[in-house]
Amino acid sequence: MTDPTVAEPWVAGPLTRLKEDARLISGVLLYPSGRAVGQFGFANAADVMSICALTSAINASARELGRQLDGKPFYEMHHAGAHRQVFMARATAGAQEFLFVGVFDRESSFGVVEIYFAEFQKALERLHPETQAPGVGPTGDFEGELNRSLDALFGPIGKR
Amino acid sequence: MKALAQVVATLSHVPGVVAAMIVGATDGLIVETSPVAGSAGATDPRKHTAALAAYLYSKVIRASDAARLGTPAFMRLEAERGHIFVVGAGDVVLVTIVTTDANLGRVRLEMMTAARDNS
Repeated sequence: MTDPTVAEPWVAGPLTRLKEDARLISGVLLYPSGRAVGQFGFANAADVMSICALTSAINASARELGRQLDGKPFYEMHHAGAHRQVFMARATAGAQEFLFVGVFDRESSFGVVEIYFAEFQKALERLHPETQAPGVGPTGDFEGELNRSLDALFGPIGKR
Repeated sequence: MKALAQVVATLSHVPGVVAAMIVGATDGLIVETSPVAGSAGATDPRKHTAALAAYLYSKVIRASDAARLGTPAFMRLEAERGHIFVVGAGDVVLVTIVTTDANLGRVRLEMMTAARDNS
């Protein structure tokens, strides 16, 4: 399994550890705006692009659903498929919010992923730089943000 | 089949048992647990023990199968300051955290009986 590729170097360590400890097959860390911060398990930028867009949309829907059903947003989601399972949750580092989506199979379990995700969350809190990376907030240019982050992860189009 | 709460209550009353839990065999999530003062929510260390014990037990099943020993009957993890016992019971595993001075034979017997009654 390949090491994570990251747009922000400080997330490489926590992502590697999460991948190894929780025995994840693949995963993407992104901003709620859909901009990718790091990934592992994917060789194709188009796949990451789709996952970022879908995760961002699912997160927005889940939050609103939570607000309507429970009076507060839902922050974590788990889907158990026949062979593979998806875990989706938010993480914070200072004032900055992230989303993480990971895929695992019978080599791991939801309980194990939850444990190591909690450690991942702590590592992000501990390691995040005081000065925020420029342009992490939503700018309204969703496609542009997505493409810039994919360039950082996989190289510019034509070199991917 | 005994109520899950009753199984946990029975196990937790065995001398030396610090905590007794019923845990999902595949997801590692706690189904039922004995109460421990001051431990609740996401920071409850039993949540970690439950998930990791169930995970370890799933690997023991594979190891036992690979060694052509059949289904494991019981797992005991001996640590510096106590033991973790795990026994499978269908879709769940019974997990106990036990002190070093406990009557291990009694704990094992109670867990095997509970597992048999709940399989």
